[in-house]
Amino acid sequence: MTSETSTAADQTMIEFKDVHKYYGDYHALRGITATIKAGEFFSLLGPSGCGKTTLLRTIAGFEGISSGVVMIDGKDMANVPANVRPTNMVFQSYAIFPHLTVEQNVGFGLRKDPRSAAEKAKAVAEALEMVGLKGYGARAAHALSGGQRQRVALARALILKPKVLLLDEPLSALDKKMREQMQMELIKLQRQVGITFILVTHDQEEALVMSDRIAVMFEGEIVQLADPETLYRRPNSRKVADFIGTMNFLPADILSEVEGKVEVEAKGFGRLTLDAEQVSVAPGSSGASIGFRPETLTILFDGQTATDRESKAEVVEVVYYGDMTYYDIKLEGTTEPMRLSMRNVFGRPVLDIGTQTRVAWSPGALVLFR
Amino acid sequence: MKGGWFRGYTIFYLIFLYAPIVLLPIFAFNNATTIAFPLNGFTTIWFSKLWDDPALHQALKNSLIIGCSAAVISTCLGVFASRASSRYAFPFKTPLMGLIMLPLVMPDIILAVALLTVLLGIGMPLSLFTVILGHVLVCTPFSIAILSAAFQSLDQSLEEAAYDLGETPISAFRLVILPLVLPGIISSLLITFTISLDEFIMAFFLAGNENTLPVYIFGQFRFPQNVPVILALGTILVCLSIALLATAEYFRRRGLAKTGGKGTGGFL
Repeated sequence: MTSETSTAADQTMIEFKDVHKYYGDYHALRGITATIKAGEFFSLLGPSGCGKTTLLRTIAGFEGISSGVVMIDGKDMANVPANVRPTNMVFQSYAIFPHLTVEQNVGFGLRKDPRSAAEKAKAVAEALEMVGLKGYGARAAHALSGGQRQRVALARALILKPKVLLLDEPLSALDKKMREQMQMELIKLQRQVGITFILVTHDQEEALVMSDRIAVMFEGEIVQLADPETLYRRPNSRKVADFIGTMNFLPADILSEVEGKVEVEAKGFGRLTLDAEQVSVAPGSSGASIGFRPETLTILFDGQTATDRESKAEVVEVVYYGDMTYYDIKLEGTTEPMRLSMRNVFGRPVLDIGTQTRVAWSPGALVLFR
Repeated sequence: MKGGWFRGYTIFYLIFLYAPIVLLPIFAFNNATTIAFPLNGFTTIWFSKLWDDPALHQALKNSLIIGCSAAVISTCLGVFASRASSRYAFPFKTPLMGLIMLPLVMPDIILAVALLTVLLGIGMPLSLFTVILGHVLVCTPFSIAILSAAFQSLDQSLEEAAYDLGETPISAFRLVILPLVLPGIISSLLITFTISLDEFIMAFFLAGNENTLPVYIFGQFRFPQNVPVILALGTILVCLSIALLATAEYFRRRGLAKTGGKGTGGFL
């Protein structure tokens, strides 16, 4: 809609400074400090009860904070009530007003708008068209399907052209197909309108698919804030690695550490050296381990050779998924099975349980947790 | 075999409940002062006698004043209590709500005597106002029962959505909450009015020298020749009560249909 300049895209839209929230004795937000940039699709990801919805509601103004600062577009939001904040929300239940029509719902926020009735009606029609509900204006809101309610909620929020659109688990009530379709539509919509979107979700896949950046939250704290690729490839703790996708953990011994480079030895992989950026910062409780994603190991078939390193392994479980096959393998000298995924390309056989094979891997794809 | 038993039971049950009420109009139109079969002949004389009785007119006027006041006051109190209990968490919420609902199960005569003692104690003269007080006490639990259902079925994020879209707490209540609970409010007004109109004990104890309709009816039974007149009055009251309850139920169901809810409970 509007052509954002590149400098505008780097501006800070929301800033949290050491935000704490207590419910009685319960410490729901524990020192949140983060910035969200203007025009980005930002996700708050975490298990239920991690404080992500509470954090979103502090932006909307539905939840006061116990200490700290929440700034929106450079203004401190303390003492600014929800009805005058430049944010709009799509609720988990959609909160469509059941006694009004679709049109009346979408136009609800325009009540104090000084524009003429005809102009408002035009804005409502445009908003409905934008979310793919052209011609639904006169319908009763309670007669809509889940997906349609979701679109009405979006239109109702976006018609006010907020600086920030807040989405509280908006897709959790939809079935899988509908959810994937809405994910794509939301991404397109966000690019089209250029508004900052903040999504709360417990679905890591959804966050990876939709977001420019993701804040992973556990127990009231942001434990990692990064773009999806970094989050997936370089999780900074075992907890994050476990929460996002599948990660294998192989016990390892740290041999030496020179200028950030770490030399480790792990059964199955042997000796290898990892760069500083591959080493997770947050220390875990158990000993050191090497983490790797299932797709970073490749089974070598007859005649193939590894371009980097290779190890011997035995297939202990095979799960066929159509486009993919998942193998559980035991690297030579280890007892814990590791998960490995292979794309099924034409002409490549699916291995049987018990097959002795070789796997190729690259030290650059590994992460060290300690 | 089993079905036959149930059918017999159901029929007996309904006869037991409604036969006395069916007798009301039969004898109200019967041309005799004694209440006994065989019937003597058709007449509307008892209804015209009703029409000409100034004491009855006064009692009816009193009952309408009391009924309307009690309905409005108890429904307002019901709105406050239901809103508070559905929206806010506060200490001792459950026991407090229980206490408010207590008059529903407490014998009316106990309440009436207690209230009379207090009123006489503080030197307040008995009047229509004191009856209204008593009726509010009896009607409020019913009002809360009806309105709690209406308030609790509201999604709390509806109100937040209204704030979010720029409304103040007051305008959000007016634009979103009120239209959604309005059928409940109308239903509560009609039912509490009906309860107040029928109520005898409070009115008997607290009215002083004013009569309400039930108290007037009770008084008339001292004169055997007036019994058919009372039956005529009873006939009118039964019709009126049924009409009011049906209207209340209509509004309750319309409210459910409007919000796409499913009909559970209710009075009809």
